Amino acid sequence: MLNVKNRIAAFSLKAEFASRRSKLYRIAYSWCHDAALADDLAQEAIFKAIKNAASLRDVGTIDTWLYRILFNCWQDYLRIKGRNVEFVEMHDEGQTEHVDSYQQSQIVRRVRSSIEQLPMSLREVVTLSDFAGFSYAEIAEIIDVPIGTVMSRLYRARQALKQQLLDFGSDELVDMKLRRVK
Amino acid sequence: MSTSNISDERLNLFIDKELDVDDMNEIHQILLHDKILRERVCQLKAVRELVGYAYSEVPVSRYEKGMHKRGSSIYRNAVAASVILLIGVFLGWGSYQYSPNAGSIISAENAFQYVANQASVDHEQRNFVLHIDSGDVKIVNAALNEADHLLATYRNANLPMKLDIVTNKTGINILRPDVSPYIERIKKMAADGHVTLFACQRSIAKASKQEGVDIIFMPGVNTDKSARDLIPDRLKDGWVYIKA
Repeated sequence: MLNVKNRIAAFSLKAEFASRRSKLYRIAYSWCHDAALADDLAQEAIFKAIKNAASLRDVGTIDTWLYRILFNCWQDYLRIKGRNVEFVEMHDEGQTEHVDSYQQSQIVRRVRSSIEQLPMSLREVVTLSDFAGFSYAEIAEIIDVPIGTVMSRLYRARQALKQQLLDFGSDELVDMKLRRVK
Repeated sequence: MSTSNISDERLNLFIDKELDVDDMNEIHQILLHDKILRERVCQLKAVRELVGYAYSEVPVSRYEKGMHKRGSSIYRNAVAASVILLIGVFLGWGSYQYSPNAGSIISAENAFQYVANQASVDHEQRNFVLHIDSGDVKIVNAALNEADHLLATYRNANLPMKLDIVTNKTGINILRPDVSPYIERIKKMAADGHVTLFACQRSIAKASKQEGVDIIFMPGVNTDKSARDLIPDRLKDGWVYIKA
């Protein structure tokens, strides 16, 4: 009976992991800007999560735990490839669903480009916060740094993005709006 | 406390709701009277929303290609509406209308919960659209608290305002007398004439089909439009969008 319960629990946990695959893929994509690599990272994270499910003490912390695994997979990749790896941004843009209007693609391209120019440590934090929606404490847990470091990195990331996106905020967007009205 | 004493680091903590209650309230109070600080907060919020938006649509993964279903029309429309919002953010940070209680219903999981569209905002009339797409008690309570707060704030300031409460998906249930515990509260809220209630036409049809009965709403609920049509129209007209 206990065995059956354990199997049901394991199955349930696998389902939990699988249900988060899409989110894992998206955050991985925000780090690497490469769909194939993001896919591999998400798959690897799920695989490791299933393999190490016993180390998940509290199901309530499953997201933090899972993203930490993903982050470690990403760090492993960077270590192997070297920090200076060049990413080709949006090279598979044509497969993007729904981002079909000129306005949307322009904004997305500009913001992603600005994010891509951030140092990787800032990019990781700002996407975990502003895209994935984690709290500072959760981000600190995921990337294994003090919470003060998270605050500092997030501050620097947003300052840099604000500066870059402010420059974009006038003429080009006005032009886009006019195009839309037409 | 003057604006100059509030660093951007602290404002980051503020918009991320990482300050304690007293500090949050202190900044809320200053924001009511400090336009420059509102602009700074708005800029940071806009950056945060843009980062969220930038990855709301990504290339379909290999894994999902075989099983991926296209997102709902409502979602696609919401993305399009959000673009209009973001354009508004950049065009008019200076006229940002800050809602001191907005943080209470912001959920980090959604990319666009609370962004002001200032592109064509009428400075005399404040218009808000409160979008509720869930029947979850916590979300609905927070949304109704926000609505109460908005109404009280503008009533006390003697400023004209309009508030459209647009419900869809399971959110429509809050307007159904047979299932909703919120009917009396919403009636009181709508009594002063500033609030208009909407239940999404498409969601009604879906619920009716699922339940096999006609869906009955409290008096005064508009049911002739879908949320996907209504919300973008409001945003284009410069209404402030609040997502519960």
